[in-house]
Amino acid sequence: MYYKAAEKMGIKEKLGILTDAAKYDVACTSSGVDRRGDGTGMGNTEAGGICHSFSADGRCISLLKILFTNECIYDCKYCINRKSNDVPRASFTPDEVCELTMGFYKRNYIEGLFLSSGILYHPDFTMELIFQTIYKLRREYRFQGYIHVKAIPGADPMLIQKTGFLADRMSVNLELPTAESLRRLAPNKHRKNILAPMRQIQNGILENKNELVLYKKAPYFVPAGQSTQMIVGATPENDYQLMMVAESLYQKFGLKRVFYSAFVNVNEDKELPALPGGPPLLREHRLYQADWLLRYYGFQASELLSEERPNFNVLLDPKADWALRHLELFPVEVNRADYQQLLRVPGVGVKSAQRIIRARRNGSLRFEDLKKIGVVLKRALYFITCSGKMMYHTKIEEDYITRNLLSVKEKLPFDKDGVTYRQLSLFDDVNFQMQQDG
Amino acid sequence: MVVGMEEKYLICEDSLEGVFTGIYEAYAMKGDHGHMHIQIGEEENFRLFAVYIKVTPDDVKAAKVAATINRRLGAEVYLDLCRALAAEDGEKGEAVYKTVVRGLRMKEGSRVMGALADDFVHKVFELSRRTRNEVHHWKEFLRFQELENGILYSKIGPRNNVVTFLAPHFSDRLPLFDFMIYDEKRGIFVVHPKKREWYLVTDKDFDEREIGRYAEKEMEYQELFTFFCHKIAIKERKNLKLQRNMLPLRFQEYMVEFGQ
Repeated sequence: MYYKAAEKMGIKEKLGILTDAAKYDVACTSSGVDRRGDGTGMGNTEAGGICHSFSADGRCISLLKILFTNECIYDCKYCINRKSNDVPRASFTPDEVCELTMGFYKRNYIEGLFLSSGILYHPDFTMELIFQTIYKLRREYRFQGYIHVKAIPGADPMLIQKTGFLADRMSVNLELPTAESLRRLAPNKHRKNILAPMRQIQNGILENKNELVLYKKAPYFVPAGQSTQMIVGATPENDYQLMMVAESLYQKFGLKRVFYSAFVNVNEDKELPALPGGPPLLREHRLYQADWLLRYYGFQASELLSEERPNFNVLLDPKADWALRHLELFPVEVNRADYQQLLRVPGVGVKSAQRIIRARRNGSLRFEDLKKIGVVLKRALYFITCSGKMMYHTKIEEDYITRNLLSVKEKLPFDKDGVTYRQLSLFDDVNFQMQQDG
Repeated sequence: MVVGMEEKYLICEDSLEGVFTGIYEAYAMKGDHGHMHIQIGEEENFRLFAVYIKVTPDDVKAAKVAATINRRLGAEVYLDLCRALAAEDGEKGEAVYKTVVRGLRMKEGSRVMGALADDFVHKVFELSRRTRNEVHHWKEFLRFQELENGILYSKIGPRNNVVTFLAPHFSDRLPLFDFMIYDEKRGIFVVHPKKREWYLVTDKDFDEREIGRYAEKEMEYQELFTFFCHKIAIKERKNLKLQRNMLPLRFQEYMVEFGQ
């Protein structure tokens, strides 16, 4: 089996090219599976995942996120690695990937490996290389840390199946929310080729769960579940369409996570929008907030948005926005409301709602107790009562509350105009600035 | 004020053993817990009309208290109390003592940590969370460097006493490696010999200067990882403020990719 990997290029140069090529993939989580080491190798996993560093864009570094190769037979218009781009190309060998993973892991730089790839020759050929690599890593190097790999659309289902028994998480990128957009920007990819492996992995996970009930020693198939990602802002879909797609992925494909990736325009292509304000970070942020509401707060996408109101409020987070449109449901009595009602109060999160339920068994709660519990009172106070009383004498009126909520500055991970934070201060670490060559 | 109800202060050593022995003595006195207090370390401002009793740590007494807590309040509460006692805080002894008293009075002691409206319970909750968060941070940010003799060596400067919580985590991950974690603020080393159980030594028994030279490959790996961190960042999303929020500077000084 020959490919260009063996050509003379140092490991550092390869790492540079193949990291650069992988960085637009968002998922870097190492969560979803708790596994102790068996004492014969190296590594374990923690259910909550562990970040090991943060890059200069503030994103978490948890996994060694690399492409196996950035050679690609496809020509997706948004992708830096598209066939028609003149960029330096490189490929790893399976041993190089294993050595890097082991060397980084034992120094506690990473939780594991995230291996993706451009399509070299054919989807089967590429999937086979990915399989060989993680087979080696698991069986020869005895690596028991986290492994996330891509399932390559169009690859032989047998290869995907074999890979799933070695990986913790698998993902197939939906890339774009609609078949139409995919046709326009990724002419070599087809919606059904993307959904087929997704369905296969979903079924594999289900079957595996049944097997595990019967035989405790059955091998695990993708135990940390499946994820996907969509690019936001490269095509004209609105937030409502995106959320409906995400919701059906959770409900119909049993996905663990859907990731949203603010579009970064790396190619000059007439099909792509110009984004003078930079990547749409605020929009991406709102989508993640809403995604959280779907997964942990019992919201439906249709409660948050509609055909008539298809985009999220720029000024308010989706939960506050929802609450303001449903003032008839408030205020709720903290000492009596059920868990689902508490979750819908702005300023009350999953943890504080659980703590309220536990704490009120020992007597009724006052506002100062809620503060200790971690409720953000300056947001919650318009929506709750403690033993029948509101915290202050406040009007329950949309304009009034909106004004007050807006005066409490929302904590955003970037400046409020959605542009990233660019100013340097004296305290910036000079050793960790972005390299000019990117 | 009831005559004869003077406040009693039990002065305990700053350790799990010290405070648990204090709790044992407090119960042994059969007084009113409302007038008994546990204080860690030496008292600077002695109060009038108060009695100070120095408690010498005793592992048999401490073990009895630990067993009672585990049996009556459950392993989870026990762990919360241990974490609270690992925190750097002057009032942790009193908070743990009063939380134990409250828990033992409850029908279902395992629910004591839910009583967050109680100031002592809340204090234990806060301290336990503080330790747990820091333990998690060091699981994330601690770095090992490979020495010439193959030992993986890590130096950390934690605010709370976290090494005993880190040791099991890394022992499970790196069973086939000799490794050491040095808490330079407290002068404690975790030592893990490969395929064996970990143990603690203090810097009285071991001099940090005995740490040998780095392995030849070590600098190469540091360079590769630093390079990886540069390359993985998206320049259009540059956000150093967010980076610093997620990764406070006090950790960065121990991390190879920040140039130590």
